Amino acid sequence: MATTATITLTSADIAGDPVNVSKTATCTKAGATTDLDQTIGLNRVHLRSTTNKVLLAANAEGNNLAAKVYIINKSEDPSLYLTITINAQTVGKLYGGDWMFFPWSQTDTSASIEVAATNWTSSTGDIPVEYALFHEDTDFLTNA
Amino acid sequence: MATTTATLTLSSTDLLSDELALTTTATLTTAGTATGVTQASGLSRKTTSAADAAGIQAVNLYRAGDYTANGANKVYIKNCSETAAEYFTVHIDQEEIGRLYAGDWMLMPWNATSGTKAQFTVTIAATWAAGDTWEFDGVTLVAANSTTADIAAQIDALNYPNWTTTYVATESTIIFKARYATSASEEVWVTADGTLNTAGNGTANISSAAVGSKSESDITIRPSVHTAMTYETLLIHE
Repeated sequence: MATTATITLTSADIAGDPVNVSKTATCTKAGATTDLDQTIGLNRVHLRSTTNKVLLAANAEGNNLAAKVYIINKSEDPSLYLTITINAQTVGKLYGGDWMFFPWSQTDTSASIEVAATNWTSSTGDIPVEYALFHEDTDFLTNA
Repeated sequence: MATTTATLTLSSTDLLSDELALTTTATLTTAGTATGVTQASGLSRKTTSAADAAGIQAVNLYRAGDYTANGANKVYIKNCSETAAEYFTVHIDQEEIGRLYAGDWMLMPWNATSGTKAQFTVTIAATWAAGDTWEFDGVTLVAANSTTADIAAQIDALNYPNWTTTYVATESTIIFKARYATSASEEVWVTADGTLNTAGNGTANISSAAVGSKSESDITIRPSVHTAMTYETLLIHE
């Protein structure tokens, strides 16, 4: 069961010469060539909380196992952003249309992935957020 | 305005009973705008190694203080290893984000929240003579003449590995600011005078010292083995 993730980063003009990065990763279990075989599927929520909400709850059983997370801010308003936090550590902001794909260590149950629609107001509208998790542990628990 | 796009394609024909085919493209813009980001660190590649497992050290990929805090920065990292068991552990400050196993890559936004930089003021005063020296941060000033403002200008013109300087023409004070936000041992740096060697009674006293605080979001990666492991990284930032 091969799941692949391909990134293509391109720019004709951010530097004097074009940037063209294209890499494909095959999502495998930790330290193995065996493919990841589980996913929570593609989820969609509409976020209107200016405080952190758990998007993916960490499970200590997932520590040292491979897990890949995909999150995208589906807002079409470039000024609306999500603040991504892991265990009180701010990772970064996903602005409208931005996505992220990264490995996730669930070092303990505090390592949940949280999101906040930091600059949301009642007049901005909700922020649609889509996310997916690819993982390996059969006992893996998520809030999906 | 530069146009930079990041496209993700997730695909699998057999993970699920139906095919997985997800493609999305983000145009990378500055925070909260439709204006394209214009700066990049450039794709870099480096191999890590240590004498033995005990010698493994984390590599500081990006220091938050060098980039715009709360900007729409994006970090790309790839583990180029071909040995499945080899991984880089990615941290932001002390928080472990995840492990990049052989062949894995990641793209994430980065807040680049820095700490504060230590700073202090040096005042050149009293009687100096041409040839007097003042040493700080491994850099030695040799006074060209006895005028304190000229000496201050000379100090400002030198290149310090760990500090930047600010100087106002005709004054005799120089403000030193640490290049990186850190709290470690700064108190020593900012309160201890540089080494002064003067023929007269010249002084280079330090005042207004302020200790900094450590960065809150430097990105580091730690290799899992001491043998050679190679990574590639690219930062697109404001």
